[in-house]
Amino acid sequence: MGVVAYLDPGSGSLIAATAAAGLAGVGVAAKAMWSKQASRFRKADPEDAVEENGEAAEADEHVRDHD
Amino acid sequence: MVDTADGTEPSSFRDPSGSVFYKDGRVFRALDERGAADWKRLASTRFFADMVADGRLIGTRDAPLEVAGGLPVGAGELTAVVEHDRIPFISYPYEWTFGMLRSAAILQLEVLLAALDEGMTTKDGYAYNIQFRGDAPVFIDIGSFEAADAGGPWVGYRQFCQTMLYPLMVESYLGIPFQRILRGHLEGIDSSDMRRLVGGSRMLRKGVLRHVVIHDLLASKVETSSQDTRKELASEGAGTDIARATASKLLDLVRSLTSPRAESVWAEYRTTCSYSDEDTEAKTRFVASVVADVKPSLLFDLGCNDGSFSRLGAQDAEQVVSVDFDALAVDNFFRDLRQSPGPGNILPLVLDLTDPSPARGWRGRERTAFFDRGRPDLVLALAVVHHLSIGANIPLAEVVDFLASTGEQLLVEFVEPHDPMAKILLSNKPAGTHDDYRTDIFEKVLHERCEVVASESLPGESRRLYHAVPRS
Repeated sequence: MGVVAYLDPGSGSLIAATAAAGLAGVGVAAKAMWSKQASRFRKADPEDAVEENGEAAEADEHVRDHD
Repeated sequence: MVDTADGTEPSSFRDPSGSVFYKDGRVFRALDERGAADWKRLASTRFFADMVADGRLIGTRDAPLEVAGGLPVGAGELTAVVEHDRIPFISYPYEWTFGMLRSAAILQLEVLLAALDEGMTTKDGYAYNIQFRGDAPVFIDIGSFEAADAGGPWVGYRQFCQTMLYPLMVESYLGIPFQRILRGHLEGIDSSDMRRLVGGSRMLRKGVLRHVVIHDLLASKVETSSQDTRKELASEGAGTDIARATASKLLDLVRSLTSPRAESVWAEYRTTCSYSDEDTEAKTRFVASVVADVKPSLLFDLGCNDGSFSRLGAQDAEQVVSVDFDALAVDNFFRDLRQSPGPGNILPLVLDLTDPSPARGWRGRERTAFFDRGRPDLVLALAVVHHLSIGANIPLAEVVDFLASTGEQLLVEFVEPHDPMAKILLSNKPAGTHDDYRTDIFEKVLHERCEVVASESLPGESRRLYHAVPRS
């Protein structure tokens, strides 16, 4: 790809920048956020058994209360 | 021109691909392999040639590798060196007026759009990418350009919001002067603070919902690595269209922002101050002859107000830096310079003489203190002594000592205590507070500190001018 940014643009800001592009951008941003990998974007709920490999959606159904 | 010692520029260390350094009073940038490739590509674009020609991009050209002579260049190996034109006097966004920050923000976006049209982009949206030459902004961070092959959103969006858009909005929508905020925090205003400032009451103002509220919501909710997010968005998105659309919308927004601050005490000064026509004439003649005599390479006008004496000095000085603590007066002067251009060598800035910009940033060296950026050959201190002494409660001897320390030569005006303007300031103080505010005391202190070359009492017999050379 050859693109290197030493600056951390912030993931949320990148999505916001995309959304700020207008309706088309909002579409792209929404698609990116709610795509198959969407669970990676959402903040982990401490009560869920979170798994890194994107199976968190299924894990939701097996929630247990952790004390 | 301002002198710089040989060596690396203290503020240029974050980009691993390149760093700025000085040698023999010239400015160079050392580039590693990646930086050199980006530069080569930039130099071949049409927009680079066009924007250097019209002064919006800093002039840059190849230089021999030997110039860098063993200087460290980030992580990579030294591959290329370029030379940049010098900026006559460095300034920072917290010293700019609303109009100046606005024009700098517009330039940042115009540069981005021009780059995107030719397959390049900028790595960041920091306000410090811009400097001013006279009243014209110039984009100086050549190292910021890179190929836009990957597409996707502009990575500089957050910094642009924090250091440029939000400060403009804070002044435009809330009437709060942004300089004090930017000076307090070099990274600018972050989105959560901004949301608290404008989220409620100003939600319907242009740009707030999109660039403040939604931006902050997303910034606080999303926690994946930015590089993953970037790839994700790039693969979904349509090349540079997204970045281009964002930049266009930001440009519209910034162009629409205006400062609502009503006239200040100073902006009305020119119409209400007590100078008679003969006094103004005599003062103009004295100032003009001293400046013509000294022919300063660098001239400071402290307390420039509407800038009329700066304009006078600009005719015989190489570079003029005009400062005043009243941001509105300086902004009026800036806009006046845009409309009736002088020789183009006047830089107006907002500065409080009792608390001038200090050294800031990493190791206290990243941003230079105002009075360390260049020693003026001549300093105009017209009608400031009484404001520092009476208004700001600084002992007269201190004021003289300070003014004498600012440059090689001094042209200072003393407003005598019986002058109407001095009387107004004195009337606000209890009797006995300013017993040192007397002409004989002023002259005694001035003679102790300097050799007085010439002096003149204005026709109205309530103001005196002195051309003085401080003793070292």
